[in-house]
Amino acid sequence: MRISVKKLATAVSTSVALMAAGQAAAEIKIGIAGPMTGPVAQYGDMQFSGARMAIEQINANGGVMGEELVAVEYDDVCDPKQAVTVANSMVNDGVSFVVGHLCSSSTQPASDIYEDEGILMITPASTSPDITERGYELVFRTIGLDSMQGPVAANYIAAQNPDRVAVVHDKQQYGEGIATAVRDTLKDKGIEIAMFEGITAGAKDFSSLISKLKQADVDYVYYGGYHPELGLILRQAQQAGLDAKFMGPEGVGNKDINTIAGEAAEGLLVTLPPSFDQKAENQALVEAFKEKGEDPSGPFVLTSYTAVQLVAEGIEEAQSTDPFEVAEALRSGTFQTPIGTVEYDQKGDLKSFEFVVYEWHSDGSKTPLN
Amino acid sequence: MSEATLYFIQQLINGLTIGSAYALIAIGYTMVYGIIGMINFAHGEIYMIGAYTALIAITGLATLGIAWLPLILIVALVCAMIVSSAMGWAVERVAYRPVRGRHRLIPLISAIGMSIFLQNYVHLAQGSRNIGFPLLIDGGIQFGSEATFQAQISYMQITVFLTTLVCMTLLSLFISRSRIGRACRAVSQDLGMANLLGIDTNRIISATFVIGAALAAVAGLLLGMYYGSIDPLFGFIAGLKAFTAAVLGGIGSIPGAMLGGLILGVSESMTSGYLSGEYKDVVSFGLLILILLFKPTGLLGKPEVEKI
Amino acid sequence: MAAHNLKHALFCAFITVIISYPILGLNLIAQGTSVTLEGATTATVVNVFLAAVAVFLFQLFRDNIMGVFGRVPNLNPLAKRGPVSQEKRLLMERVFFVAIILLALVWPFIVSRGAVDLATLVLIYIMLALGLNVVVGLAGLLDLGYVAFYAVGAYTFALLSQYFGISFWLALPIGALLAALFGFVLGFPVLRLRGDYLAIVTLGFGEIIRILLNNWTTLTGGPNGIGGIPDPTLFGMEFGRRVKEEGNVSFHETFGIAYSGEHKVIFLYLIALVLAIFTLLVIRRFMRMPVGRAWEALREDEIAARSLGMSRTAVKLSAFTIGAFFAGFAGTVFASKQGFISPESFVFLESAIILAIVVLGGMGSQVGVILAAIAVTILPELAREFSEYRMLIFGAAMVLMMVWRPQGLLPMRRIQIELKEQG
Repeated sequence: MRISVKKLATAVSTSVALMAAGQAAAEIKIGIAGPMTGPVAQYGDMQFSGARMAIEQINANGGVMGEELVAVEYDDVCDPKQAVTVANSMVNDGVSFVVGHLCSSSTQPASDIYEDEGILMITPASTSPDITERGYELVFRTIGLDSMQGPVAANYIAAQNPDRVAVVHDKQQYGEGIATAVRDTLKDKGIEIAMFEGITAGAKDFSSLISKLKQADVDYVYYGGYHPELGLILRQAQQAGLDAKFMGPEGVGNKDINTIAGEAAEGLLVTLPPSFDQKAENQALVEAFKEKGEDPSGPFVLTSYTAVQLVAEGIEEAQSTDPFEVAEALRSGTFQTPIGTVEYDQKGDLKSFEFVVYEWHSDGSKTPLN
Repeated sequence: MSEATLYFIQQLINGLTIGSAYALIAIGYTMVYGIIGMINFAHGEIYMIGAYTALIAITGLATLGIAWLPLILIVALVCAMIVSSAMGWAVERVAYRPVRGRHRLIPLISAIGMSIFLQNYVHLAQGSRNIGFPLLIDGGIQFGSEATFQAQISYMQITVFLTTLVCMTLLSLFISRSRIGRACRAVSQDLGMANLLGIDTNRIISATFVIGAALAAVAGLLLGMYYGSIDPLFGFIAGLKAFTAAVLGGIGSIPGAMLGGLILGVSESMTSGYLSGEYKDVVSFGLLILILLFKPTGLLGKPEVEKI
Repeated sequence: MAAHNLKHALFCAFITVIISYPILGLNLIAQGTSVTLEGATTATVVNVFLAAVAVFLFQLFRDNIMGVFGRVPNLNPLAKRGPVSQEKRLLMERVFFVAIILLALVWPFIVSRGAVDLATLVLIYIMLALGLNVVVGLAGLLDLGYVAFYAVGAYTFALLSQYFGISFWLALPIGALLAALFGFVLGFPVLRLRGDYLAIVTLGFGEIIRILLNNWTTLTGGPNGIGGIPDPTLFGMEFGRRVKEEGNVSFHETFGIAYSGEHKVIFLYLIALVLAIFTLLVIRRFMRMPVGRAWEALREDEIAARSLGMSRTAVKLSAFTIGAFFAGFAGTVFASKQGFISPESFVFLESAIILAIVVLGGMGSQVGVILAAIAVTILPELAREFSEYRMLIFGAAMVLMMVWRPQGLLPMRRIQIELKEQG
């Protein structure tokens, strides 16, 4: 009984593998996984629109090694449980290259499966350092780390010689990660941290927090998290007469913060990847997005575009669709992409990813400060 | 006044503001529970819909070029109350009336289903983004010296207090004086008996839902303005808090809902103010468990007599 | 009557417009930095009015429509059957269980990997629902914080493996026992609360556990969760491509077969299956023991049960503890399946879904609960095309089920004589 079952299992798995191989001969599947629904769906939209555009353009130029790229899209709702289900479906569907996931908490469990199953993954948005800390061969990203962004912000704050700084975060992986990096860098520079405190993501009333900040008499408040909460904090702080400068990571830097905070958003400091859509060499691409009626300015649009492009170029370079060989090619090569020149270190992180400090204005525009 | 005192007063003001808004929402839970003994889990969503309607009305008036503040507020309030009341009425009709009198888990599941449904209804229709409320009532009264710590009570906070006070007074008068109010009390004491005495209990139950929903709409407008943004999920959290407030004060009791709301609001702001904001939900739920352990029917709840 | 109907129908149609037009027809759009109001497409407006007309017509001819429905012979042949005898019912259930277990055994070998993975999730929900069924279905205690015990099980395994390198097999009983201990400790003070007070206290407890897990960053990793949770091993054989733990060997090398990721998924599935069957059998045994009868007695009539000398606390506490025990079980399997856990997997909605499974299945009925767990987990996967509407449909389905079939898919039946109640 045992042997027959095992035989059956082997037979089934071989046939699945054959089926996958049969499909791969005709086309190369690119799995795109991110939130299509749920509270962060708007970031997922950026990801899908960037990746789709890259696939269209690559196919229009004759595909990769003469084969067409086919997008297979999956919705993980940024829920770790669904991300695992999605990862298993990818294995099922014979996908060997994944662009995703978006949320770090989804990327992490899904990448365990990809690594085990020999699927190459490039995340265009997950910034948690943990993801590439595990010595995986097939995990890459096209975005910087929390541990790179935090110090940029902290150095800027330190350069202004503040007396006291408060660091607040939303108790999520992303927000707390960056906030911790900011706090540690500031401490190293000998700046007094008056407060390091979490709030509840989704909360609306920050009056107590603001009174506390007011009493602590801080000059700078660094907030690790996303725009809905910071928007409210800014607005309620202005109402309560709190006189401090606020700063946040790229998760707060989008125009929605203006609809919430209104005038109070003026003067907010934000660390952002340089706006790739403003670069001269990307103007043709930006036009292509605008023709489709899509907005290329979101932080994850061009990183997703780049992720797809890297898969394609990695395949060309390796002259193989074997993910391990493609990974090797990515590690050893240098690539020209919309987000600049890309080189990878051994862990799969970008060798350099620049963050720029911007000053945000109440009309939704921003000016670079350094 | 010393800095510490001023800081305490400031946190007290913050807590009382949020607490009185919780109380307004809690009324809906407590009245429904008092009459048909069910937890209306969808009540938080009614409040959220009220806030959305108010914002739609405010934005609409702004588009029309109307800028006279009292008019904007009154129109927004009336619109929100109408839509929320209609929603409350419809929810009762569709999801609760057909399951009334069944095992008490059945209406509860129906209510949780309704809550998920309404959240996603608004989410699909209006998107999941946080939308900002325009700043309508600005400024406040400062006290204390500028050099140390300056406490402030904003005009918005005063508005929240006063509106809550007016609503509560009107509600108490309505319950104690009007015909429907008397019928409400009768039905909550003994539904079967009230029915026998010729009270149209179905109508009274509908009226309860409508009153609760209208008060939730008031809270929706007030808190929308006070916080500054709304999203389709914010009703659920507020609903949970308000429900906790209702149980804390003794579910079924209207003064209890008021008291529970204020206690919850103050304990939340004191926790954030003196400990850490991360633990404010732990403290409020912990407080609830503690109070229920010593007073199993809440602070102002009537002890229940088991009848055989 | 007709005039009354007309008035009511008009009123209902009017309400329909009020509750749908402002939300559906007037959209708040964030344009640049300000919010503007945009009218929806004509199609939406037309739909709103069509809905109002439909409501109007339905209410107007409600009596006739309901009359027609009443005449349609009941489509469900099972609905009208009388209670079957105890022996026959047991036989039928046994046949059902054997059939479903046989199907479950061959399942991983006939379907794809994704389906096996989904089936593992179904089994985890079956364990959870069977456990909660003891608390809610049998003992009648409304527990809205069941997910807390699930979290305790999952975190116990994750922490033990992280700090002490303890394997799945050792962590499984520890996780379950610790969850049971939590159930016991929480149950002790709160079980004297009545129905709905109990509901809110358990809900609060569930939230407290989640927030503590989220805040206690030094121990639990806070929002970062805990990763690298090992997979279960088979007598020291690992299923990964490479052996992670020293001293272990890999499964595919031992047997000299090619590595396949399927082995791991199937092995995990089989473990979940064995544990689900174990859960089923243990609870089945409990149900027929005096303590199981006591749960039901207390649910039906607390005063009568106490008059017969039952200890209320002991009976309730046993139900609560046993329910928590199996949640801990399911939590350990979940942690192992995910390889990574964080507090966001243990939110209130999860408790609500498990409760919905129990109620949809028919409280107290194990067969029904199993069917409902399968339905609730698989239907959203099948409805992926409607992904946007998934939760909307889920909510509506919960309401409609309660209205049309509140006793659940397969209610628990016993032979009984009922006095017609005067409502």
